[in-house]
Amino acid sequence: MSTLKPETGDLQKSLETEVEAALNPGEAEGFYRDTRECLGLLLVAGAALLSPPTPRPKK
Amino acid sequence: MRNLSGAVCDLASEVVSVLRDGGHRAVVSPNGQGPDAELGVAAVRVLGADVLLPSTLHRHPPAPSDLQLVREAVRTFPPGGDASVSTEWSHWAMRDALRRHDPAAAAPRPVAAEPVGAEPVGGEPVGGEPVGGEPDTAWLSRLTWQELTHQLAVLGALAVPPAVTGPSPVVAAAAPRTLDLARGFVRAVRRRDWLQAAGAGRWLAVLDSDATPVPATLGLETGLEFVLRMGGADPRVALHAHAAQLLRAGAAG
Repeated sequence: MSTLKPETGDLQKSLETEVEAALNPGEAEGFYRDTRECLGLLLVAGAALLSPPTPRPKK
Repeated sequence: MRNLSGAVCDLASEVVSVLRDGGHRAVVSPNGQGPDAELGVAAVRVLGADVLLPSTLHRHPPAPSDLQLVREAVRTFPPGGDASVSTEWSHWAMRDALRRHDPAAAAPRPVAAEPVGAEPVGGEPVGGEPVGGEPDTAWLSRLTWQELTHQLAVLGALAVPPAVTGPSPVVAAAAPRTLDLARGFVRAVRRRDWLQAAGAGRWLAVLDSDATPVPATLGLETGLEFVLRMGGADPRVALHAHAAQLLRAGAAG
């Protein structure tokens, strides 16, 4: 027998629902890196780093 | 009033702390009366038998206040008629932990095949709640390796060595699928699902044996360290990962 007070019945019902949900969670969404996006960023960053310096007029 | 997930995380954090300290003090701080006390009991029900994990792994008697709260959680949140198998097994594990730790409970372990919630089948009441039989484990063998990993991670509190707790039907049912679980561990890490990865890692730490070896190529120790580093901010992840590391280190062997 529960020792919880009768006036907390609503809270108890709500907690029961929450407990049941917490005990049966669905599988979390996977968090993947988008390979194409990463590759694009890598290429842009690489191109920026490897490009020759901007030509400047000779004095 | 706090929410349930916050209370569960707070409780998991306490368990991790006691687990790392050697299990010599109470896990749960008394909340007195009122909504916080009820929330505390609900959090104990969600965390399940893991509330007593420090005592189980370090082989110390649990604090009477911890036992009392676990008893209260078992009584207050029994599995209903339409409860899922995870809820039933979680409840079973709590009752089993109480039976091991509570000197007042002299009843034998439930071994009959009656479902939880049916009439008691030979066990005596533990702390006032009826003792039913074991829920079914046949469903485990029907799951794909992805589903198996998810379900076992949800039931992470049942991942304790039989040498410490006695035979466990879920451990026995999971043991032949160590390779599937190893694949699931890798999948969870790649998906960055740290809670599932930590739960799967804990199961692998329990199941690794000569008969059902975890592939050496998995690098479980390194994997657990990585999971702890990446997801350890979540106390539930830290709990499973620390438990797995303790098991790998032979603390509960």
